[in-house]
Formats: sequence, C-alpha cells, structure tokens
Amino acid sequence: MVGMSVLRTAAAFAARINPLKRTCQSSNLLSRTVARSEQVAVRHGSHGKRMFIIKPTAFYDKRFLFLLRNYLLYTGVPVAAIVIFVNVFVGESELAETPEDYEPEHWEYYKHPITRWIARTFYDSPVKDYEKMMALIQIETEKAEMRQQELEIRKHMREKGDGPWFHIKTLDKNLIDNSPKSSPDN
Amino acid sequence: MPEDHDKDVYPVPPRQTPAVDKQTTLPNPALILSKLFYYSVDVPVSTFRGIIEGIQGDKSKYYHQKFRRVPELTECREGDYLCYYEAEMQWRRDFKVDQEIVKVIKDRLRACQQREGHSYMQNCNTELKQFDQVTKAFQSRYADLGAYGSGRKCLMKQKERMMAETQKA
Repeated sequence: MVGMSVLRTAAAFAARINPLKRTCQSSNLLSRTVARSEQVAVRHGSHGKRMFIIKPTAFYDKRFLFLLRNYLLYTGVPVAAIVIFVNVFVGESELAETPEDYEPEHWEYYKHPITRWIARTFYDSPVKDYEKMMALIQIETEKAEMRQQELEIRKHMREKGDGPWFHIKTLDKNLIDNSPKSSPDN
Repeated sequence: MPEDHDKDVYPVPPRQTPAVDKQTTLPNPALILSKLFYYSVDVPVSTFRGIIEGIQGDKSKYYHQKFRRVPELTECREGDYLCYYEAEMQWRRDFKVDQEIVKVIKDRLRACQQREGHSYMQNCNTELKQFDQVTKAFQSRYADLGAYGSGRKCLMKQKERMMAETQKA
C-alpha cells in the first residue's frame, strides 16, 4: 500500500514534469494529475494538410448567376450579331431628293435598314392606316346620323299618328265568327 | 463622321476670332492638346468608319415625306368628322414642325454663345432677339394645352387670346 502511494506520487511528479511525454495514460486518470493540453490527436486523411474548408453554401448563388448569364446570352448574342452584321455590311440609307413623278414606297421614308425591313414586312403604310381610320369615322358618322333620324321619325309618327310604325294590325273582319252573338237568345 | 448640316440653309456667320499674335516662345498647350486629341481619337475613328463604308458599297435612299395641305378646323362644316380628323392630323404635324423650329433657333443661339465666348451678351444680339420672339410665339400658341392637347383646344386658346386682346383695346 505504501509502495502504491509512492508509485502514484512518482507518476504524478513525472506527469507534472513532462506532460507531453506520457508513458502510461490510463494511470493518470486514477490520479488527479491529468494535465490539460490543447493538442489532441486528430486523424487527417490528407497527410497533415487541412482540406475541409467550412463556409456557407454558394450553390444557390452560383446557380442563379449561371442561369442568368446563360439565358441572357441565348438571345442576346444572336441579336447583337445580327445588328452588327446589318450595320457593317448593309449600312444606313442616304437622304436623297424625291425624283419627279416617283411615289416612294412607304418603307423608303426610313433610314435604318432594320426599320425599313420592319415597315416593309409587318406594318401597313401610314396612308393605309389613315384611310382605315377615316373609314371607321365614316361608319360611325353614318350610324350616329341614322340613329338621330330614327328618333326624329318616331317622334313625328307618334305625334301625327299616320306613320306605318305605329299602326297596330287588326284581324280581317271576314274571319270573325259572329254566330255566338247572331241571335239574342244564344 | 456624319455630314454637317447644309451651310446654305443655315449659314454660319463669319468668324470673329482675332488673328494669332504670339508673343512668347512657349508652346501653346491648347494646340498641343487639340493635336493630341486629333491623332489619338479622331484619326482612328475616321479610318474605321472609312473601312466600314468601303465594305458597304451602294447604299439605298430614303426620302423626305411631303404632305398636302387640307382644310383647317375653321374651314370644316359642323358635324363633318372626317374633316375634323384630317385637320387634327395636320395640326399635329404642324406642332411637330414648330417644335423642331424652336430647337433650330435654340441651337443657333447656343452655337453663337460657344463661338463668342465671354462676349456673347453683346455679339449675339440678333440670335437672342430671334430666340426670344420664337419662344414667346410658341408659348402663346402651344403652351398649357396639356397632354391631351388637340387642334380644337389650340383653337379655343386662340379665341381666348383674341378676346383678351379686344378687351384690352
């Protein structure tokens, strides 16, 4: 027993002297001389080089930017290429005096070739649009005029009483069967 | 570079810069900077444009559209909506033309001020008077008609103006 206590004190002393060099660790748990140290045995799979960098996820941000760039370029690049080719190889028109007795087509009043193409392919000429608007106005004028006239005619016919609109048709008197009232005793 | 405006239509007055009277042997920094700008910016850009125009070849033409005059709102019968429509379209075209006229006069004044430098208040008198006249006329005719301004409202404004004039007299 005494020998055990001597051994124990010797082990405690050794632990105090050199906490790093532990010969037998388990006995130190029984004696109260476990020296605390920040160095812990960790197993790296990468020969001592730290590899796992812990940071918040960048997946959603990267995915958003990736998709944004892609979708913008799918239409952006062809449009930019077309516009560059048109501007370099076709070029804008030059202003010229209208020659006598020549009526320019409606797209020949624009300068840029793409505007001209749009006006030629998709749009009606402004003259045609003007005429369409005038046709609508004409139709509406006629409608308004006819409604006014109708109201006036109704008023006159109702007043005078001899217009055909307010004649209520009565039955033909030949169709009336007078037999119920033909004799006083029926 | 795109072509400048027609000098016969909008003539540039004679330059009033004094003759160069150099009294020092030091170089003129303004001249150096202008030459620098010319060689570093103007020459490359102009050559590039020349190359591109060489590639383009024959260009198509575009024309200036001319519209016929139609009877105005005062010459239309009442209830003739077609006449109203044509007069309204003509008024809109005239409105745009008047806006461009004001811009041209304004540009003339600004060019004059740029040319004269610090003595613009004395030397630009004609341009200033013209600008004053034109803007007053534009204001009395077209100002305060609102976003839905039309030929009809303009006519009513003219009527009010004439009434105010007769009342003053």
